[in-house]
Formats: sequence, C-alpha cells, structure tokens
Amino acid sequence: MKRAMVLALVAGIAAVLAASAVARPTATTGTDAQQAVSCKSQLKIAIVTPLTGGAGFLGNAQLSWAKYAVKRLAPGLGLKVQLLTGDTPVEQGPAPAQALAQKYVADQKVVAVIGPATSGAAAATSQTYFAAGMAHISPSATRTSLTKGTPREGTPGFFRVVPGDFIQGPTDARFMVDKLNAKKVVIIDFQEPYSVGLADAAEVVLKARNVQVIRLSTSVRTTDFSSLVTRTPSDADIVFFPTQQPPDAQTFGQQLIEQGKRAKVFGGDGANSPAQFKLPGAYVSNFAPDISGIAGTKSLIDGWKRDNPGDELESFGPPTYGAVQVALRAIKAACVANKNVLPNRRAVLRKVKQVRIPNWILGGTFRFSTKSNDPLNAKFYIFQIQPNGTYKLVG
Amino acid sequence: MDTFIQLTINGFTLGSVYALIALGYSLVYGILKLLNFAHGDVFMVGSFIGFGALQLLGGSTAPKVPTWLLLVLITLAAMAGCALLGVAIERFAYRPLRNAPRIAPLISALGVSFFLAYSMQLMFGSEQRDYDAFSLSGGALFFNGFDIGNVRVPLLRIVIVASAFALMIVLWLLVTRTRMGKAMRATSYDREAASMMGIDVDRVIVFAFVLGSALAGAAGVMFALRAPTDVAIGFLAGLKGFTAAVIGGIGSIPGAMAGGLILGFAEAFTQGYISTRWSDLLVFVILIVFMLFRPQGLFGKPDIKKV
Repeated sequence: MKRAMVLALVAGIAAVLAASAVARPTATTGTDAQQAVSCKSQLKIAIVTPLTGGAGFLGNAQLSWAKYAVKRLAPGLGLKVQLLTGDTPVEQGPAPAQALAQKYVADQKVVAVIGPATSGAAAATSQTYFAAGMAHISPSATRTSLTKGTPREGTPGFFRVVPGDFIQGPTDARFMVDKLNAKKVVIIDFQEPYSVGLADAAEVVLKARNVQVIRLSTSVRTTDFSSLVTRTPSDADIVFFPTQQPPDAQTFGQQLIEQGKRAKVFGGDGANSPAQFKLPGAYVSNFAPDISGIAGTKSLIDGWKRDNPGDELESFGPPTYGAVQVALRAIKAACVANKNVLPNRRAVLRKVKQVRIPNWILGGTFRFSTKSNDPLNAKFYIFQIQPNGTYKLVG
Repeated sequence: MDTFIQLTINGFTLGSVYALIALGYSLVYGILKLLNFAHGDVFMVGSFIGFGALQLLGGSTAPKVPTWLLLVLITLAAMAGCALLGVAIERFAYRPLRNAPRIAPLISALGVSFFLAYSMQLMFGSEQRDYDAFSLSGGALFFNGFDIGNVRVPLLRIVIVASAFALMIVLWLLVTRTRMGKAMRATSYDREAASMMGIDVDRVIVFAFVLGSALAGAAGVMFALRAPTDVAIGFLAGLKGFTAAVIGGIGSIPGAMAGGLILGFAEAFTQGYISTRWSDLLVFVILIVFMLFRPQGLFGKPDIKKV
C-alpha cells in the first residue's frame, strides 16, 4: 500500500513537471536561434487587432491605415515589407492574441508587431514578444500598467504611440468636474483590464475633487443594462462607461432614457465609434484628434481615401499609421547600423526608442518619453455627440 | 418603492424571454428525455434571422412597413427559420441516435451547440448586431407606455411580455386542446405504447422540435429588441433557459413558464439590490439547490419506478 502511494506521488510529480514543460511559453526558442535576415529581402510586420467582434470597427480602421502606411512609407525607406494581419476579438479574451504571438515569433521574417491593439491582449503577449526580442508598438492599448507602475504588465519591448489611461482617466474626470460641473458620477467597469484601469484612474481624480462617486461593475458579456440603469440615481450627472463595445454604450444610453434618468453617458476611447455610438449629448474621449484639422495632413488623408473609398475618417486609424511609421523607421535604422543585415529582431527593438518623427500625423513632433515607452507630451481629446451623430471636439 | 417596481418590470421582461427558452427545453425533454443543449444557440440564430429580416424590411430608421407589422414579420421570420433549424437538428443530430445510450445524444447536442455558434461566427463574424429599436417610430416604443407611480413601463416591454405570454397560451392550448397535443402527451407518457396505439412518434418528435425552436426564435427577437446580439449569447441564455426549466420541473409547460419568471425576478433583484456581479452566480446556485433538494422542480413529479 505504502509503495503504491509513493509510486502514485512520483507519478503525480512527473505529470505536473511534464504539464509545466508543455505549458511554458515557447517564445524563447525563437530568440537566440534566429537567423540573420537581409534588409533587401521581403521583411514582415504583423498587425494584431480585433478585426471581428464588438471592437471590429476599430481593428478594420487600424488595418486600413496600416496597409496605407506600408504602401506609402516602405518604398521611400528602401524596404520591402509585407503586412500580416491577426484578429483578436475582444470577446474571446487573450487566447487569440497568445496564439498569434506564438505564430509570429516562430516566423523568422516577422521583425516587429503593430499592436496588440487592446490592453488585455498586450498584457497577455508582451512577455512572449520580448523573449523573442520583438518590438510591439501599439496604436491603441492605453492601460497604465503596460508602461508604468508595479507590477508592470508590458515589457521593455512594448511601446505605444498614444497616451495611456493615466492621462485619459484624469482628463475625462477633470472635464466632468470643470466643464460639466458634475457633482455625482456613476462609474461602471466591465471586470476586464481596460475598463477597470480607466475607471480607477478617473475615480481617483473625481474623489479628490469631492465628487460623489458610485462604482458599479458588470460582466463584459452583459448586453441588457436595465438593472444597472435602475441602480443609477436619478440625480446622477454623468455615467462614466468605459466599454470596448460601442453598441453597449448606445444601449446603455437608450435604457437611461427609457427609465427617465437624466445622466449623460461618458465613454472612453473604446466607445469612440460614430457609426455605433451616436446618442446625442453623450461624450467620448480619444487619444487622437480629427486629423483633418492638422496642418499638412491633407495629402495623407486624400491618399488614404483613394485607397479606401467610402470609408469615413475616424480617430483609431491615424495612430496606426504612426505606429507603422515608427516600426519602419526603427527597421531602417537597424538595417543601416548593421550593413543591411538584421542580425536579429533585437536590433530593431533597440532602435525603436530613438525614433523621432517631425510632422507627426497627430500633430507636432513624435518621440518617446525618456522615462517610459509612452509618447512624450501626448494628450486625450474629448468629443460631444451632436444631434446628427457627428462628434464635435469640446475639450 | 420606485426601484422595486422598476426591478419587477425588468424581471418580468427578462423572465418572459427565459420562459420561452425554457419551454423549448421542456417540450423536447418531455418527449425525448433529451437535454437539447443546442437550444440556446437556436435562440441566438433566431436573433440573427430577426436582424436579417429587419434589414430586408428597411431597418429601424427607414422601415418599409408600419412598426407593428415590422415587429410581427421579423418575429415570424425568426420563428419560421428556427423551426426549420430545429427540424434539421432533430433529423441529422438526434434521430440517428434515438436508440443509442442516453449519453450519445447529449454529446451530440453539445456538438450541435458549438457547430451553430462557430458556423454563425464564420458566416457573420462576431460583431454585435443592434436592432436599434430606439429609432423605430421616433422612439415610440421607449417613450410611450404607462406609469406605475414614478416608473414608466415602456411600450416595448409591454409588447415583449404580452407577446411572450400570448405564445405561451397558444402553446398551452395546442398541447391540451388539439389531437397533436394529445399525441405529444401520449408520446411523453410512454413512447412505445403511443407508437403501438398508432401515433406517428417521429412526427410528434419533429413537431416538438418545431414548436420549441420557434419559441426560441421568438425569444431571440424579443431579447435583441432590447440589447445587441452576437454569436456568443446562446450559451449563457441556453443555460439560463435550462435552469428555468429545472426550477419549474423539466418536462412541465406551466413549470417552464414559472421557472422563467422566477429566474428573471431573481436575476433582476440580485442586480438591483445586491450586485450585477452576483446575478449569474445566483442563477447557478439556484440550479444546484434545486438539483440537490428538489430535482423534480416546482411543478414536476418525482420519477417513481415500478419495482
């Protein structure tokens, strides 16, 4: 009996060890074994973004601008670049992003990643990319802990070209207090990294400004918000609703009206979709302004419109153009430094931080902060939805 | 008091939809003793068929027919589409396993559930689809209605609850007052004996799938009139419908109705008075409690075997 128990124990430990070995990320296998790649050959970059699902509007806008950036910028830098596309629907959690990371790490020709677009996907894959020495430059992942604080979810290989929620949350909160004179604010989070981080960042500032805050929480799968609306006090001024699915913000706003509540909906960048969130009077914030108002962008916009006839210019695409621009500049710099041969992906990664772009698509000159992998002096913009559904810049 | 009234209205709306889903489970279980776990996905498909029909009829901003007719047509389209789907599921996934051990059709049901969810995702993507009922008739479905105290009961909720109850009554009459209903009850009581008495059991089973799936299709439209739909809603909705059926007593039609409403109220009051984070947990705690202490449900009868 005793012998059998010992045998069972040994077998159990062996099984656990075997399972651990199988479950360990295999990213490291791509690091040192990577072969040098000629800069004259076709290189690959991959965009990782939700092309389907509730946030599909965002990913498709990003993809169109990424394609346009590769087409417009790569030849001028003497590079032949193929853009790979990876879909990470937000409803499916981090699993698709992890699978894509393994795939791209295994492909020797993939030298950089544009994305992941969402904070959850970035947090879930940054270790894998960094272990393979691969720079991953997000045009939209805004969670604070990806670049700041402890524990930090992003590795030194993670960069973003838009400001984080440590700017968005306080910007939104200050706008609610200073411009909208909010005294009572309901904050709803969806128990996932993006909305919890953004809700926390706004809550701190609101409380510091003596605003009464009521914090509610629901699942990302909730689509009928009736009971949350019922719990929203009739005298609440604002409901801060940091969803990643704009139709949910629309439904929530309609259900507020249905129950006779006067609070205005205030969404974060995840709700910013003129086609899907069009409730007059509501607010949304975003990390990019309407670039048509920025000097020198006309030819850029015209070119994109030629490639994407019928598509509307919105806020998520242009930062992706910027992220591709950063990646291509870093690749070019690495090629120059290594006599037209990329010894490994880390050579590109080392150059990302040094990229500086005058006449940046979002205005001014782009460069990274020396203290984190965030853009220097970036800010968030606030829009109010007009009766005709258009977004008007108000802050 | 206003909060209580509002939550009661929320519970009624939610419970009506759960009751319609639960009826599908109960009908099929009553006759085949099969837990049709694909039923939640039939509900999801119904919401998509309704969306497609709505677009064909001009969408909510520019409908080609009056609002009342639009609602009737999209509901009928979803019911008809889901009824056909139910027939196909029965024919290809369950009938070949009619005499297999009971675990086989159960596994087949799970397979059909995943097949439907992933097929829909491949065909239509996982984007949310919004009926935008708010735009119908300039928001009349939301702004019109009647007041209870300070609480407005919007027309849309009245339409949903009234339609659900009307469908339940029609089903009840069909099962209790028609020849086919009698055949269904006979098959449910003893399939072999019913067959020996000349009842076409295959036809009865197909009819049960038609009815259950059509009700799921109607429930899908009612759900999607209030909230965006997507290909993933079926799993949780199906589980809640199953729980409602268990609470009421699986196989019992009045039980399914009562179970759906109880579940709707439990969910709404938990969300309103405790936390929205707890509502799904509570639903499945109720399921476990019933399975442990009253497996026959509120209206079911204990399974007594002759020894």
